[in-house]
Amino acid sequence: MAKVYTGRDGRLLLAGTTLVKVSTWSLQADVEVLETTTLGDYARSYTPGIQAFSGNATLLYYKNDAGVNDAATLLRKVVNTTGVETTDTVQLTLRLNDGDINDDVTLTGYITSASFGASVGEVTSAQITFQATGALTTAAI
Amino acid sequence: MAYPTLIPSARNYSSGDYPVKTFTSQSGAESRILYGSRRTGMTLELQYDNVTDANAELFLDHYDETKGSYTTFTLPTAAFTGWSGNKDAIDAATGNAWRYDGPPQVSNVRPGVSSVQIKLIGVL
Repeated sequence: MAKVYTGRDGRLLLAGTTLVKVSTWSLQADVEVLETTTLGDYARSYTPGIQAFSGNATLLYYKNDAGVNDAATLLRKVVNTTGVETTDTVQLTLRLNDGDINDDVTLTGYITSASFGASVGEVTSAQITFQATGALTTAAI
Repeated sequence: MAYPTLIPSARNYSSGDYPVKTFTSQSGAESRILYGSRRTGMTLELQYDNVTDANAELFLDHYDETKGSYTTFTLPTAAFTGWSGNKDAIDAATGNAWRYDGPPQVSNVRPGVSSVQIKLIGVL
């Protein structure tokens, strides 16, 4: 059945658990290309190099009835008093849902930046960027 | 084993010189004596970017086979690809042959891909 995906179908999961108040996410997949052009060639040629995955997300700075703040969980990876260790990776799943079918991209990465603030008349949100380390765990799109 | 027949990504040639000895007097006058009739000391730098490791290994094997900078050799036509002038103009001059001016520099770019830099000097 034909399907047009919208923001309603988007999910962001942290270690397999859906983060509740996510308003945007995006993923950037890159592959560098290495030039193999030699003298005498008239057109450039390339061979594939290393892949890289990064992205960003916006979460509402929201605390549920149980006191859990999804945004803070991610923010604390870089906003802390103890520095960032190699173990401070997060497993993120970027999902587009179609009923029982999930188009998932799962990666393990580091939160590389976080910004949040408070403004009069606005809901407080936090923006994070992440950088994957290693290959994707899942790429079911 | 001959020098690998790969086409370089970049080439840098310098013509060398004739064996000339220069004497400068206290007055500043310069005297030059030509000790030979053959130009020598030309240098050639060849860059092979993003080649397979197997191809990069060919240069290491050739360097080993020539016992480093000890043995001289000639270059295949592929080394001069892209040069539309007379090949003799950028090859080792008459009576000269190439030898390594240093070991091949191999940089690993990614798994299975490397870049190689070769420095040669023409000697009589």
